Amino acid sequence: MIQIEGVSKSYQRKLVLDDVSISLAQGQIFGLLGPNGAGKTTLIRMLNQMISPDTGHILYKGKPLIPSQLQTIGYLPEERGLYKNMEVEEHLLFLARLRGLSAPQARANVQHWLSHFDIESWRHKRIATLSKGMAQKVQFLAALVHEPELLILDEPLSGFDPMNVELIMNEIQALKEKGCTILLSTHNMKSVDEICDAAALLHQGRLLAQDSIWNLRSNSSKGEIIVRFEGHMLAFANALWTDFELTEQKQISEGRFECLLRIRGNRTVNDLMKSLQDQVAVERIEKRLPSMQEVFVDFISQKQQQHD
Amino acid sequence: MTKFWLITLRECKERISQRGFWWMLVLGPLVVLLLLIGLLFAADQGKEKIKVLIADPGQIMEHKVLAQQEKYIEYYFLDSYLELNEFEQAKAYKDFDVLLELNEKVLNNKKCFVFYREQLSMDTRMQLKFEVERRIEEILANEFSALSAQAFRSIKQGLIFDFRDLDDPKNEAKETSSWTGFAIGAFILLFVGIYGMTIFRATVKEKSSRIVEVLLASVKPQQLMLGKITGIGLVALLQLFGWILFLSIGFWMLRQTLFVDLLDPSYWKGTAGVRLNPLSDLLFEELNYGFLFVHFLLFFVGSFFFYGALFSVLGARSAADSDGQQFLIPLLLLIVFGLVAGVFYIFYPASGSAQFLMYLPFSSPVLSMIQLTQGATLDAYMSILLSWMVLILSSVLLLWLASRWYKKSILKF
Repeated sequence: MIQIEGVSKSYQRKLVLDDVSISLAQGQIFGLLGPNGAGKTTLIRMLNQMISPDTGHILYKGKPLIPSQLQTIGYLPEERGLYKNMEVEEHLLFLARLRGLSAPQARANVQHWLSHFDIESWRHKRIATLSKGMAQKVQFLAALVHEPELLILDEPLSGFDPMNVELIMNEIQALKEKGCTILLSTHNMKSVDEICDAAALLHQGRLLAQDSIWNLRSNSSKGEIIVRFEGHMLAFANALWTDFELTEQKQISEGRFECLLRIRGNRTVNDLMKSLQDQVAVERIEKRLPSMQEVFVDFISQKQQQHD
Repeated sequence: MTKFWLITLRECKERISQRGFWWMLVLGPLVVLLLLIGLLFAADQGKEKIKVLIADPGQIMEHKVLAQQEKYIEYYFLDSYLELNEFEQAKAYKDFDVLLELNEKVLNNKKCFVFYREQLSMDTRMQLKFEVERRIEEILANEFSALSAQAFRSIKQGLIFDFRDLDDPKNEAKETSSWTGFAIGAFILLFVGIYGMTIFRATVKEKSSRIVEVLLASVKPQQLMLGKITGIGLVALLQLFGWILFLSIGFWMLRQTLFVDLLDPSYWKGTAGVRLNPLSDLLFEELNYGFLFVHFLLFFVGSFFFYGALFSVLGARSAADSDGQQFLIPLLLLIVFGLVAGVFYIFYPASGSAQFLMYLPFSSPVLSMIQLTQGATLDAYMSILLSWMVLILSSVLLLWLASRWYKKSILKF
């Protein structure tokens, strides 16, 4: 769907994007991750054709970006604004028409989304009278009212209460199921874990990693295993011998424990199961993958250590 | 193009839906009308006593004016010529406010000169003319016809009174028409200034609320800037038309009620129905309102885009309303410069600088309006057209440059 190839951009001799190449597949939810100042907003503005790269190029459905393609792109910026004097419906119609919809089509789409989000009663409310959360919802609708093929969401969950976070997450999933490609820029790693298929990690304008979420987490794994069992703790510890290191343990009820182990040498989970089978009754055993939060922190820490 | 019109219409709708627009539409003309009423009342009541010295070497008036003359004008006669310098400086004449010079040819050329120390009110001027002219009519009727003074009045040619300031005895400044043109030009700059500020504020607001980021994902910065200028410009025009409409209605109502005589053209023409004063000639005879209105619109549109581009860029470069205030000062000074240039042109119309200012986009709207109200010759009209073309070309160039600056600045927070 999108190929960003060797893109660089400087502002007043400061390099904000350095030879970045990212690829997004159709129907994917793609996380664009990075600390503040990593270059995410610059990249997003390039996709929205607000700025052009100094070098490199961006392909959209295999062709260079052109203004008419903006009609198939939806954008929810991080810093959001609406015209406070306009009414909700009027505002959505205005933005839908700017995205190239005809007046009747815009009207039909606005009607559909207002009823879909069950906010038809807001139709004639002035934006100035909406609460922050309500305004956020209107902004979210504005990004998808023209039913884009590519939806760029910059921190879409910020400012929402947990109920609305759930609503927005479900909506993003539903859009994906309809074939919409979604670029999600966020610091909310829980949402990345939950809904993203793949992600790219930017730091100081450079691409640190890009892969599927599973691969990013697996590759960052430290070989830790979670074991839940019923039996004696001493028997469990003895069974580990020198092949596994017990790093954490907690009793969850009388005679039941959950432990975190680290594998030593070339041992595997199967080896562990063999060692434990005659000693304790194993209830659960699984390889522990780091969360995207940990992956993110690890990558950035490593980069900073290299820099230092 | 659709997006440009969407932006334009949104801007129009937003301004028109604001209460301030409607208040301004009604209050603006009302304030102007109240000022006019005040001025007219003041003119009526400001009859300070003035002493008029009539230099009448031929003793045409025989030391008489009218039997029933206004008491606030006192006439004194001098049976010889008087040099202007002497009148201005000699102690003996210090008490006189006005020198009316009637030379022996007055009965033939119907022309007399009136020199004043302080500007005379319109009412005083008219009264002075009325009284002196009636006396001259009596003399003419007696000397050259067998008609009664009243019958003579109906067929005679009136006197031409040439009022001149002692400080400008050659009367180089064509005052009345020039100042009328200046007022029209100032009106253009006033509206451009007021609505230019609206462009500035709207741009800053869009930038600080970050809606601009959503808009720029759909429209080009140039479309956004031009749509905003055009939209606000249309609102300015609408308000201007409203002002003209309300002022016309107000003027008509005043004529019907409070100032039946004073605002009636026949009053301004005087009883004899001939040229009495330059303002009445200008307002009711000389000004071609349709022609002026067309040129007013042409220069308004040119100026609006010219200054609008500057206000837009300033808004795009400002992160907040207060941030841009300091940069507004030079821009507002440019508008003031246009007005000052107009004053300069009135006093020194033939100077090289005045010719240069005529083509300068900052000052050309005011100068062109002055020229048009003065009654431009073909050559002068060609120079007005040329100055308009320079204004339009400058606006196009500035819009092009501004759109580039706008694009670079609008996303810098």
